Amino acid sequence: MSIRSEFATFAGKSSYWFLHTFMNGGSSLPGKITTAIDPAILKHLGQNYDIIVVTGTNGKTLTTALTVQVLKQKYPNVVTNPSGSNMEQGLVTTFLKAKNPKTNRPLAVLEVDEANVIKLTKYVKPIAFVFTNIFRDQMDRYGEIYTTYNKIIDGVKLAPEATIIANGDAPIFNSVDLPNPKIYYGFKNHDDKDNFKAEPNTDGVLCPVCQNILHYHYISYANLGNYFCEHCGFKRPELTHELTKLGALTPNSSDFTVDGQDLSIGIGGIYNIYNALAAYSVGRFLDVDPKDIAKAFTANERVFGRQELIDIDGKETTLVLVKNPVGLNQVIDTISKEKDDFSLICLLNANYADGIDTSWIWDGEFERFTKMPIKKFITGGERYKDITFRFKVAGVDENIHEVQPNLEKVVEEIPTLPTQKVYILATYTAMLQLRKDFAEKGYIKGGME
Amino acid sequence: MTKEYTLHIAHLYGDLMNTYGDLGNILVLKYYGKKMGINVESQVVSLDEDFKSDDYDIAVFGGGQDFEQSIVSKDFQTKKDEIKKFIDSDGCLLAICGGYQLLGKYYIDAEGNKIPGIGVLDHYTEQQHDNRFIGDIKIKNKETGEVYHGFENHQGVTYTGNGERPLGDVEQGYGNNGTDQAEGAIFKNVYCTYFHGPILARNNIIAKHILIKALKRRYPNDDFSAQEKIDVSESY
Repeated sequence: MSIRSEFATFAGKSSYWFLHTFMNGGSSLPGKITTAIDPAILKHLGQNYDIIVVTGTNGKTLTTALTVQVLKQKYPNVVTNPSGSNMEQGLVTTFLKAKNPKTNRPLAVLEVDEANVIKLTKYVKPIAFVFTNIFRDQMDRYGEIYTTYNKIIDGVKLAPEATIIANGDAPIFNSVDLPNPKIYYGFKNHDDKDNFKAEPNTDGVLCPVCQNILHYHYISYANLGNYFCEHCGFKRPELTHELTKLGALTPNSSDFTVDGQDLSIGIGGIYNIYNALAAYSVGRFLDVDPKDIAKAFTANERVFGRQELIDIDGKETTLVLVKNPVGLNQVIDTISKEKDDFSLICLLNANYADGIDTSWIWDGEFERFTKMPIKKFITGGERYKDITFRFKVAGVDENIHEVQPNLEKVVEEIPTLPTQKVYILATYTAMLQLRKDFAEKGYIKGGME
Repeated sequence: MTKEYTLHIAHLYGDLMNTYGDLGNILVLKYYGKKMGINVESQVVSLDEDFKSDDYDIAVFGGGQDFEQSIVSKDFQTKKDEIKKFIDSDGCLLAICGGYQLLGKYYIDAEGNKIPGIGVLDHYTEQQHDNRFIGDIKIKNKETGEVYHGFENHQGVTYTGNGERPLGDVEQGYGNNGTDQAEGAIFKNVYCTYFHGPILARNNIIAKHILIKALKRRYPNDDFSAQEKIDVSESY
């Protein structure tokens, strides 16, 4: 260890200790201090770990959390980073915080922002990369899906021996030839008889080889599925881990079978099944027994925190974060599994963290809500006009649709809603405002996490 | 409004040019069409598929990602004659962002490649370096006095040419190129713009203009005064 790294680590650890002890925080500042003293600090901090990088647009957080649960079945020491600390300095802080490992090479499962993969691989070589998916996110950030994927690939090229564990149902992960060993996971709960194209409003449907439009035998959602090109023969790679059966699906639970092993997670949504499939694949990659993986999935419900159930004076209120069209459509699909009557609240803000362009709501399949047992709709948030008009165009019955721009009034109204169950979809800052109000009224403890 | 009217929309490359919720424009045309007693049907016309001018009353052409647009640019050349015929015969065309650029002579993509348009309109699009025009935009149409709101997000800078009037003068934001205060282009019944939001969701009056023009073109002998009275003031 160089004197510089030694000093940088000391400074970082002390600042973490100080912040943690006296300031009740410390997520990226210690990393900032350490990186300022020694820009190559990740090399020193990360060199003793077997690192698994989880990256992609959606599902990074849950995939990381589930992977940690799975690996803990077999490995005592697994370091991971908290959600949101997925840039370089957050990663540095994660290593600084880690207790001195008991084993020789502990594991680190790190959620890494797409553009920050290269900042890590410049200094350390992970043993595996997990690719969840690439969708259009807030386009004011990285732009197009191919640009985003290229950023990841730039990082992966510095670690050609790391195994890529990728969503095999995403055509983009089969578009660049890389020397790395590969493991693909995907859905094989169908035969190959059907032949159709994706819905018109789907991104990323061009064949990467010959640029014709891809066909599918099966689509799970968006452009994910068993794809093939009629022109050049490009097709989904052989899957290493196959989901062969979807069982009971509700907004709060999913049963499915992978490689003959029955699995269950306490959260709804096809997208979450993919997250579980990714975690399963990492588990198998590191020799965790399928039965232990099944156990890990049901061991700790708290990992499914993003979609949480809150008791508002007796109303079972489910709060869901929405941030991009694919995620939104998956949320709508998940809610469609609800059998009881419910009320639906949709809150739209357009601050930087939400994405400042609200156009994406028009890619959301709000029309589907008109076919669900919804007794009351409320639209609100700072951009209530946009979301209200979206609901009107979707065909929501005006007699049961209320516009309520004032968030506090929305909260006050929840106990008076005509149904026992309430679903709230909110963009990031709307969710923060809502949670603050919930906390003040004593419905929840604390803030965002 | 006893008679049932039908209008056909061609959603040009709807499976490839579909970023930023531009599909919403078609949803809004259907929504107001219903209020006006019009059955509005839309069909995607994509790669290797024929666009026949006479089959459609309205065409909607959204923006896409660079990769998709470069593929569309090649295929679009094969549809040039019919698109020109459609425009010359007063068909209504709404072109947004990349769709706008491809109706013109050419555009330069983010990597600096010159991508040919079909040149049925006279504008062309250059590229700004390390900058994008992103943000809320407000413009005013001089002829009608109407004010339009939208969200722009483009690297290309467009310069309009012969026969093109701006969709509006920029009051807030950047517009076509950030220098000449113009946003978008109008040529016959073609509306070009960089507005997302989508444009028709934020500016219902333009949806109404398009529907009325398309009705009058398809049913030249009918009276549409009832349709023209439809209130479209409910959004933004």
